[in-house]
Amino acid sequence: MTTPNAPGSGPLISVEALTRAFFVGGEEVRALRGVTFGINRGEWVAIIGQSGSGKSTLMNVLGCLDTPTSGRYMLNGKDVSRMDDDDLAVIRNVEIGFIFQTFQLLPRETALANVELPLVYRGMPAKERRERAKAALDKVQLTHRMHHRPNELSGGQRQRVAIARALVSEPSMLLADEPTGNLDSATGEEIVRLFEQLHHAGHTLVLVTHEPKLAARCPRAIRLSDGEIIADGPGPVVALGGTGVLPQAGHA
Amino acid sequence: MKFGQRFRVDVLEGARIAVFSLRANRMRTVLTTLGIGIGVATLLAIVGIIQGLNTSFDKQLATLGANTIYVSKFPWVIKGNWWVFRNRKNLTLEQVAQLRQQADFITAISPAVLRSSDVAHGASQVSNVRVNGVWSDYLTIGNYEVVSGRFLTRADEEVNRPVTVLGADVAATLFPSISPLGQTVRIDGKPFQVVGTLGRKGKVVSENMDMAVYMPFKTFNSSFGKGRPMQIAIAVADAGRIQQAEDQLVGILRRVRATPPGAPDDFSLNRPDTLAATYEQLTGALYAVATGVGLITLLVGGIGIMNIMLVSVRERTREIGVRRALGARQRTIVIQFLLEASSVSAVGGLLGTTVGLGTAKLVSLVTPLAADVRPSTVLGGVAFAALVGLLFGIWPAARAARLDPVEALRYE
Repeated sequence: MTTPNAPGSGPLISVEALTRAFFVGGEEVRALRGVTFGINRGEWVAIIGQSGSGKSTLMNVLGCLDTPTSGRYMLNGKDVSRMDDDDLAVIRNVEIGFIFQTFQLLPRETALANVELPLVYRGMPAKERRERAKAALDKVQLTHRMHHRPNELSGGQRQRVAIARALVSEPSMLLADEPTGNLDSATGEEIVRLFEQLHHAGHTLVLVTHEPKLAARCPRAIRLSDGEIIADGPGPVVALGGTGVLPQAGHA
Repeated sequence: MKFGQRFRVDVLEGARIAVFSLRANRMRTVLTTLGIGIGVATLLAIVGIIQGLNTSFDKQLATLGANTIYVSKFPWVIKGNWWVFRNRKNLTLEQVAQLRQQADFITAISPAVLRSSDVAHGASQVSNVRVNGVWSDYLTIGNYEVVSGRFLTRADEEVNRPVTVLGADVAATLFPSISPLGQTVRIDGKPFQVVGTLGRKGKVVSENMDMAVYMPFKTFNSSFGKGRPMQIAIAVADAGRIQQAEDQLVGILRRVRATPPGAPDDFSLNRPDTLAATYEQLTGALYAVATGVGLITLLVGGIGIMNIMLVSVRERTREIGVRRALGARQRTIVIQFLLEASSVSAVGGLLGTTVGLGTAKLVSLVTPLAADVRPSTVLGGVAFAALVGLLFGIWPAARAARLDPVEALRYE
């Protein structure tokens, strides 16, 4: 297996005093109120919180789908908080592998074509990207279903296709949003096992969830509430309501 | 990214998605295509028919000769009060003689009188034949070709011979199996000996030039009576100096006819090429109106494309979100939708071109109109259709690209 994370200096993710405010009906809603943390290469971190805690906003910013109102976000040594839309598209393509709750597969394309998609936007020749997409599907044991469309696959299989699509571009981190939210518990367990394997293989995983049980499986968890970090520590501790070790306790 | 990679991302993938989407929504694609196709077809059929009309008209007029002038009381295209022309003094043989004497550029001149008569031989008869009373010079002026026998001669004129030369259709109808030369035909009951036949001229405007016979001017007058308004047909040596020749003719005629100074000419100079200009003015207006109609149809087709593209963008909001999340730039999304819009309308353009050409061709087969579709028109039709699609695709494509990826991914 290839090493997913090329060695670099410092943490993979470094977030400092990050804020994000929206204007809804002329009123300012502060979804993130100054968030600071770091994630090292190879870590598996859960971001946990109730709905409205700001975890979805944080995920969007970490995934470069959204830009912060203030603060700094360094990803793999690059300050992505100041990038324009075109550069962010490249960052999303190269650095991030998304895994969504609703899978977000293109319904009319085959599993293989779905997995190829990130490489298409990288401008890779068809033959090469087909090879790599097949290899990625092999990692999630789905090569036998690669010519099927998403509606011919089970929920678990769809999420595995989505994981293969996230893996195929060999990103710096995998960013999963409630990856088991649309699956029954047995299938969800299957997917969590797959994450464990990926973690052991050295991938950096960031997992956004509201489920304490899922967060408890992660070596580290960050709990958000009202746009602020209220706990950061070992997954089982934070999941049960502990505070762990806050890097900047009392930060407002 | 290098150019090759950009091309692969934007154009190849865009085209693949476009084809994919068009195939996935076949019925919708066909209907949208139809809108543009009808516009292009209308435009092409009209343009083809009018171009054909003009070309065939030019060709017909060319048979009249480029360097000929016809002097008459009535202009060929009457603008104004007919009675003004009607009350003009007739042209006379004296004036023909004066012109021949004084004008510098004349190479051939002939008086011409005309009536419509029945021409018969034995039991067969043709009606509404144009009977022309002319001089021998008329052969050159009218650019006629003698296919058998001879044309009228000066001697025929001088001794008032009852001879005639038949146009192609008259000869063919009255003498299907034997040579008409030496035979006698009866023109409105009077006997004339056939001395020659002419080659085929075809139609000029709506006149069949081959349904005609020719006889000496003097013979015409003594057979059918004088006093018929005369036309003077003139051939000029150099087509390039025709304006100069005209000016001189006007001067001579005004003097000979004693037109008071300051009064307008009491005669008209007609030229086939000025007739062509008048004609093109006429079809030009028709052309403009018809083109307008075609353009409006295309506009409607274009709005159809815009509508369907907006629907397509809305339907694929999540797909756009996914593509953006996986690294598609805004420009890539724009190109994808523009390719989709312009390929629909280019297909429509191709369809419209085929139908339009077919229509023009059909019209030329079932009517006397000759359709003429130039390659430039075809190319223009397809390119224009694609352009319409591109134009009307811009707004939907821009909307697609401007979608917030977060919102798009959440879209139900």
